[in-house]
Amino acid sequence: MINTDSLTDEQLISLVREKDQELYGIIIRRYQTRLAHYLRKFIPDADALEDVLQEVFIKTYRNLYGFNVNKKFSPWIYRIAHNEALNHLKKQAKVAVSLDEKEWQIIDERKDVKEEVDASFTKKLVEKGLASLKEKYREPLILYFFEQKTYEEISDILRIPRSTVGTLILRGKSMLKQSLK
Amino acid sequence: MVDQDKKIEDKIMVEIKSGRLKLRSKYIFLAEKLGLGSAFVLSLILAVLFFNLVLFYLKASDGLGYLSFGSRGWLAFLESFPYLLVTSLVILIVIAGLIIRKTGMAYKRPFGYWAMGLVVFVLLAGTVLAFTNIAERIEARAYGRHPAGFLMRPFLERGFAGRHRGLAGRVIKVTEDYLGVQTPEQVERISLKHLEMPLREPVEDGMFVMAVGEQKDGIFEAKMIRVVEEGEMPMVGRGVHRRFGPLPLPPPRHF
Repeated sequence: MINTDSLTDEQLISLVREKDQELYGIIIRRYQTRLAHYLRKFIPDADALEDVLQEVFIKTYRNLYGFNVNKKFSPWIYRIAHNEALNHLKKQAKVAVSLDEKEWQIIDERKDVKEEVDASFTKKLVEKGLASLKEKYREPLILYFFEQKTYEEISDILRIPRSTVGTLILRGKSMLKQSLK
Repeated sequence: MVDQDKKIEDKIMVEIKSGRLKLRSKYIFLAEKLGLGSAFVLSLILAVLFFNLVLFYLKASDGLGYLSFGSRGWLAFLESFPYLLVTSLVILIVIAGLIIRKTGMAYKRPFGYWAMGLVVFVLLAGTVLAFTNIAERIEARAYGRHPAGFLMRPFLERGFAGRHRGLAGRVIKVTEDYLGVQTPEQVERISLKHLEMPLREPVEDGMFVMAVGEQKDGIFEAKMIRVVEEGEMPMVGRGVHRRFGPLPLPPPRHF
């Protein structure tokens, strides 16, 4: 009997591919809350979110042999979620970004934003500001501030150079600040 | 939320256990990788080869020679330019660039960096290849009986095609006002009546000449003309030899 708790995602994927496909349930358990949290920034509707999340796990499973086990699994599955979110957004004309209380704490913990976003700004304003940002600025901001991803991981998820991630976050913050003024 | 999470997990696991949701075969991914890798290598090799052919074409055909006539030679040069070769070269580099993007291996650096790298590689490798005789061999095969060589003919044939603004070939007949000239395509008649400058040296049968002017009613009205060495435009020389063979020897003199 394998103690799956001590296995890394990558080791689990190897086992799912070669030995026991039912272990995929553990991957789902490990990622569904995190991915739901991430996707909620793009898909406020609960039913639509569930459909997209399910599609993400189905696509991930189908393409498991396309994953390189020498790399990190997390950016790979986030990449699939990102693509699915974009596909969903293409079908939607307008997007709203919603933040919960915990995310407000995260924003406060991340250095610059607290200084840049004046304390008097309301939650609604930030939601509106984020929603008004272009996709290319919004996504790195969400991944960095709300998903706690590093520049390296964001680079892997969005398939853009690490230096570009930094630039987009910086510009995104500045645009967000402008839109909140 | 916990119930919802469980619902998704259950749904997917039921699909997996029932066999309705399957892993895509590893061989599909392998084939995809190999296919893209091969396409990338092939497009890169062809780009290098085509750049080498562009260099060869410019060096061996009559095109660059027309520029020696100054502004009058520009139209003839543009007419003889290997557009198909250059366009194919650009398309091949774009294909190689698109494959780099598609594979997603190269996103760690800006795409411009890779595009620049591709162009530099093609230019360098193509220039190195110019020191070999590969382009001459391609030309020989294109105009020989080699079936694969035949595919290369459209890329090179502009070097042998008739032109409206320029003409280059071997002189076979000389009169006061006209020259008979063999080009790789046919025998042309050059009128010398409208020359802006007289010929610097007397023209004889077997010499190679290059002229700029205009085709009018089947006669090429030369504005400028000069005698050239066959080695200055070997592609034209080879074209003429292929079409007409060597110049017949003069009749033996009887003493």
